[in-house]
Amino acid sequence: DDTVPRQKLEFDNKIALERIRDTIKLDPSISWTETLTVTYPDTIDVDVNDDLNREVAFYKQALHGANTARSLAAKHNFPFTRPSDYFAEMVKSDAHMERIRQRLLDESATIKKSE
Amino acid sequence: VDEPSEEPRKRTKNKQRVLLLSSRGITHRMRHFMNDLEALLPHVKKDAKLDSKNHLHLLPELADLNNCNNTLYFEARKHEDLYMWAAKTPNGPSIKLHVQNVHTMDELKMTGNCLKGSRGLLSFDKAFDNSEWGRLTKELFTHIFGVPPSARKAKPFIDHILTFSMLDDKIWFRNYQIVEKDPLQPNGPPQTSLVEIGPRFVLTPIRIFEGAFGGATVYSNPEFVSPAAVRSAIKREKGAKYGMRKL
Repeated sequence: DDTVPRQKLEFDNKIALERIRDTIKLDPSISWTETLTVTYPDTIDVDVNDDLNREVAFYKQALHGANTARSLAAKHNFPFTRPSDYFAEMVKSDAHMERIRQRLLDESATIKKSE
Repeated sequence: VDEPSEEPRKRTKNKQRVLLLSSRGITHRMRHFMNDLEALLPHVKKDAKLDSKNHLHLLPELADLNNCNNTLYFEARKHEDLYMWAAKTPNGPSIKLHVQNVHTMDELKMTGNCLKGSRGLLSFDKAFDNSEWGRLTKELFTHIFGVPPSARKAKPFIDHILTFSMLDDKIWFRNYQIVEKDPLQPNGPPQTSLVEIGPRFVLTPIRIFEGAFGGATVYSNPEFVSPAAVRSAIKREKGAKYGMRKL
């Protein structure tokens, strides 16, 4: 009988948001090589539940970013590609990569067997 | 103290350091997820779990002690819900986000890999520029997820890209390795392709506060429903079904 829906207070104080961004934003004259940030000129318009197309959209965004960044890096004389003789610790260990490789091999073996 | 007047000139260098820590009660998965972030972001300083969930005002001080000007704080609730606070310390702003669909690098069987400590590119889609809160989020994420050139462990090459995409009012994160050679023709023309590295996660913005871990709310997401409310709604529906059968 007294089911007045509890109204949640909403906030979207655009003026404050802009002011706050002004206080933290990096100098616009800053070199691109300081942040390495790129913007994709498109929005992602796919069905959220469509896993395949969604991942393709993300991939396209990243690929566009990588290509834009490479030309920007060339413009700034910034080393981009890792030389093939440069070795250092990776985020995934060799053991981890081996585990992934073994799994892929196992999977393809199972597929072959069932054929 | 005449720091504010000097600050604009200092910003020609991107100097960022991020304090990374969590509350008590995180699960093993959340812990591995944080380790992933630590491996990808060489300008992160990890600290011990924060004892109390009610004393977030301690965090700016803690960040200051560690010479960090950003804080990434993970708050676990009920051993299942994970929240992420991304804050500029000590003066704010801070964003509280709900973290969902976490898949760690270990779990995902992905063949991508990158140097530990290489600086990742950051890619934001256009949707971030379409709203004021999106622009602020983009700025803050640029500070936190962008590796500054001065990071001690940073490598001089680029081999991966972090993408933030807005979809369904949520922010989706992906991390790809940039492969510039076709493995089938190593001497052919360079052809960029990508291989995903992981981790994956989805963030739902909840609120943006003016201060660091507090202060006035300047944005709240009208679409956000707390995970506890979702669970209780499911339970209530099941209860209603039983109620019908009893009649």
